Amino acid sequence: MFPTPVQKASPFIRISYQIMLPVALIVWLFPLIGVALTSVRPASDLAAGNYFGMPSYFAGFENYGAVFRDSLIGQFILNSFKITIPTVIGAVGLSCLSGFALANYQFKANLWIFFIFVAGNFVPAQILMVPVRDLTLRTGLYDSVYGLILFHTAFQAGFCTLFMRNFIKSLPFALIESARVEGVSEWKIFAYVVMPLMRPAIAALSVLIFTFVWNDYFWATVMVQGAHAMPVTAGLYSLNGQWVAAWHLVSAGSIVAALPPVAMFFLMQKHFIAGLTLGATKG
Amino acid sequence: MANVSLRNVRKAFGAVEIIKGVDLDVADGEFCVFVGPSGCGKSTLLRMIAGLEDITSGALLIGGHDMVHVPSADRGVAMVFQSYALYPHMSVRDNIGFGLRMTGHDRADIAARTAKAADMLQLGPVLERKPSQLSGGQRQRVAIGRAIVREPGVFLFDEPLSNLDAALRVQMRIEIGRLHQDLKATMIYVTHDQVEAMTMADKIVVLHGGMIEQVGSPLELYHRPQNLFVAGFIGSPKMNFLAAKVTALCPQSLDIEVQGQTLQLPANGALAKIGDNVTLGIRPEHVQIGAAGDSLTGTLRLAEYLGSETMFYLSLPDGTEFSVKADGLAKGQAGQSLHFTLPALACHLFDANGRTLLNATLDK
Repeated sequence: MFPTPVQKASPFIRISYQIMLPVALIVWLFPLIGVALTSVRPASDLAAGNYFGMPSYFAGFENYGAVFRDSLIGQFILNSFKITIPTVIGAVGLSCLSGFALANYQFKANLWIFFIFVAGNFVPAQILMVPVRDLTLRTGLYDSVYGLILFHTAFQAGFCTLFMRNFIKSLPFALIESARVEGVSEWKIFAYVVMPLMRPAIAALSVLIFTFVWNDYFWATVMVQGAHAMPVTAGLYSLNGQWVAAWHLVSAGSIVAALPPVAMFFLMQKHFIAGLTLGATKG
Repeated sequence: MANVSLRNVRKAFGAVEIIKGVDLDVADGEFCVFVGPSGCGKSTLLRMIAGLEDITSGALLIGGHDMVHVPSADRGVAMVFQSYALYPHMSVRDNIGFGLRMTGHDRADIAARTAKAADMLQLGPVLERKPSQLSGGQRQRVAIGRAIVREPGVFLFDEPLSNLDAALRVQMRIEIGRLHQDLKATMIYVTHDQVEAMTMADKIVVLHGGMIEQVGSPLELYHRPQNLFVAGFIGSPKMNFLAAKVTALCPQSLDIEVQGQTLQLPANGALAKIGDNVTLGIRPEHVQIGAAGDSLTGTLRLAEYLGSETMFYLSLPDGTEFSVKADGLAKGQAGQSLHFTLPALACHLFDANGRTLLNATLDK
């Protein structure tokens, strides 16, 4: 068997593996651990120069309480949800439809349309910054969650379509043909045959898009100015300005902002991993 | 009435013609089997009848109505796919009733038809299971059940048994045969398995390169092939072919030279000219093994003892491969010489273009 399992390797390799693995893990997670520790550190520790040691006492409640009490983070998180959830529904829903069409119907421009969807993924978002900002200003969508929803949906649709098209392409085509011979309409085939089989792909894609959109900072700063539409990523930056040296509070805010995608991943990880490989092995 | 007629049906993908003008009549209630080597267009032809492929030109009539532009669902056909095409997320009951449910049949009707089909196919105990919990044979039955509940005039089978193991295949073959007797529906069945074709068909259609080579009953094709292709395709082990030359013509017979020997065949001499290159065909079971001094000799390469019969595979002096089916007690060793004769009445003769000049006249 190749490679030899670590359990059967020579003692030297086995012991170095057991030492190196935790070391690598700690190095990898160091920034996260630092932020997590700082978020429960009392302000006095920071004043005393205790940046990386253990907190002198657990100040989690007061720090996290202060973040929610003294800042707009609650509003920012709500905005993030207001932007992310419609985007996930919109992008995944639309890509189910476009993926179904591209995978199942033979029409002249099929492959070209598919290539355009794929090629869109390779356009760096930054070069679109100025045109998109102008466009939103003119259409009155600047500085609103709707603008962000619309543009996130549009930008994610390319990747989602690629993913869904390949997934549907890997389903046995005879299922669809068989339903056609039985007189089932195309909409019903989509709803009753294809959609149920796409559940793992939908779950995986939803987690992925949720994370992408939740973590977006770039478009949030380009398209939003006011707190009324600001998602939590951009909102955190404004905390930085509000609490210049209050790192413990900024850390607590960061942890709060990072929780939803992590929670989403752990909730859906079974589907997520299954869905990723399902999409990847074929198509 | 659900007779199926094809009139000069053609199918082209771009410039490539797959079906090159097929004329065929399948009578109501007939069991018609399409056979042919892979790529001959038999599945494509079936899918054209089903409405899953467009017909490039020609006419398709089912029950006397032109169906070329009629959508698949309205043609009164049901199709059983090679891969079964069962919906993995539905129970057997839902799989069988799915088409009816989606096309607005009422619940009582669906339940009655499902029960009847399940009864016919012995699926009663597994109705609540998912396809993944079924054996291959049961899955195949569900696929057939899905076709039955639609009560179609024409059943289309696309190599339905090729994913099953040998024993199950025999069993399902018998079940489909029985189903045909019970339902009295027209069935069109695509297979590459000769045994399936020979045992099930009322009518076999041999396809080759998008054209029909011959249509006929199984025994007709076996005993009276119209050309070299059908002669070589039908029958397992294959018919032996030997290159021969016409040497003499008489009104009632014709002499050929084959492997250095002269053979007189009871054929109308007007069919050939002296000096024509022809092909002599003879089935392995008609070759007679004899003693030294018999006309032809070959070197034994391999003997297969099947119990009921023994197959000898020989090479003739000019390198031609030749097989002989002998009775189960015959023995031989690789490398030894084997003498045999070709009974004149069992010989088929084909001209240089592969057309049949003479079929064997074996009357017992």
